[in-house]
Amino acid sequence: MKQLVQLSVNGQTHDLVVRPERTLLDVLREDLGLTGSKRGCDLGACGACAVLLDGRPVSSCLTLAVEASGREIVTVEGLARGGALHPVQEAFVEHGAVQCGFCTPGMLITVTALLDEHPEPGEAEILEALSGNLCRCTGYVKILDAVRAAIRRLHGAAPRLSQATTDRTGPAAPAATTRA
Amino acid sequence: MTATRIEYHAPTTLAQAVALLGEHGPAAAPLAGGTDLVPALKYGVLRARHLVSLARIPGHRDIATTAEGGLSIGAFATLAAVARSPLVSAVCPALAEAAAQAGSPLLRNRGTLGGNVCLDTRCWYYNQTEAWRASRALCQKAGGEQCYVNQKQNVCVALFSADTPAALIAVGARATLAGPAGERIVPVEALYSGEGLRPLAKGEAEIVTDIAVPAPPARSGTAYLKHSQRESIDFPLLGAAAAVALSPGGTIASARIALTGARSAPCRLPELEAALAGGPVPAEGDRELARLATGSLGALFLTEAVPHKRRLAGLMAVDAVARAAAAAQGRRTP
Repeated sequence: MKQLVQLSVNGQTHDLVVRPERTLLDVLREDLGLTGSKRGCDLGACGACAVLLDGRPVSSCLTLAVEASGREIVTVEGLARGGALHPVQEAFVEHGAVQCGFCTPGMLITVTALLDEHPEPGEAEILEALSGNLCRCTGYVKILDAVRAAIRRLHGAAPRLSQATTDRTGPAAPAATTRA
Repeated sequence: MTATRIEYHAPTTLAQAVALLGEHGPAAAPLAGGTDLVPALKYGVLRARHLVSLARIPGHRDIATTAEGGLSIGAFATLAAVARSPLVSAVCPALAEAAAQAGSPLLRNRGTLGGNVCLDTRCWYYNQTEAWRASRALCQKAGGEQCYVNQKQNVCVALFSADTPAALIAVGARATLAGPAGERIVPVEALYSGEGLRPLAKGEAEIVTDIAVPAPPARSGTAYLKHSQRESIDFPLLGAAAAVALSPGGTIASARIALTGARSAPCRLPELEAALAGGPVPAEGDRELARLATGSLGALFLTEAVPHKRRLAGLMAVDAVARAAAAAQGRRTP
């Protein structure tokens, strides 16, 4: 049975009738025309569909649209204000942190959420926050450069060196490891 | 979009949720964070047609310490909330470590502790797309006749691979279940049937609502070790949790060890626990104890190509004990 849902997306309220089988990603892209959030794996493993749900980044491909009813959603389209890019977006542009661009909306959402919660995250926190967002162009170095630049831009501070890790180039290390 | 049509129910009380689950029986499934359920619905392997959402039921999301010094955790709390809770880190570091390593940040913001505890078993032949599975008859777990892993005995051996239950079992945590007959409290260990097909021993209409972690004994420590192919967004190939209490003289007074990813349920290692009791704190990599642990495991059915898994299980169990003991001694391990 179809359900009435009220989605608040980027500050705008939409009253919709949707089937419960449909995910938030389906509705954002197909009903609301917000195609910034990408359908990558569609199984919660890549992060390309990340949106903010009540301020926290989640995979919109795993969230049923009916479950998002009445909650605040922000997509990548909601980051820019009055035609001006969000500082995180500006930093991505300036540092060439975009190759094919498919993972970029998810990266921007995740980084924005990180900087909202931790204005001055350390390297370890940055890597941790981005560990659910895959870039299959493997452009992680520039993405991390852009994140550091965004931190400087927003807060005039560089990442705390005490937390720096030097032996990793990206959030997803390929080798099998045993960790504490 | 899920593979089949579903009916969505959004009860606002636990009693309504229990009644809906009871009414629809095997055709119903509780929906918490959906991070494992929704992929299963997309694959078309889950036969539930009625989703009973727990999202609009108030309460059961708080994390608090008890008067005795243990923890009371609402089962609807997200894994992210458990992972970053200073209370959980202080009282049960193994649980915080396990929650912090489940899935990815995006998944932990939706996935719940109760959902992780009640995670379905997984298998190479089951968690696959319709197109992949169409190349052969359905496996037992997907509704067919054959188990493609354990072909001789033809009994489903899908693996239980959630991170947090190992930690909860190591510390002797208990789960509160709400069901048609009211509430009952059981050890987390007792939630599992050991069967790949239907891994939970609870009733279909029962919902895990709260988790209680007992107060840690004096001179005790916990640890969780995870081995996976990728550092994030991955289930453990193996996870080992240990809770160790030391005697005033520094020997091991008691050790509880639980593995995940080894069988169709998280499993304790009673032989290793008995061998450790009263003895000295083992060093990481202690081969003799690791051999004993591996020997006590018996056959492991490997649904993934990990031929060293039995030996690794023994080594990880001993390392988890060594790290838990180091925590009990107040030593930091790298």
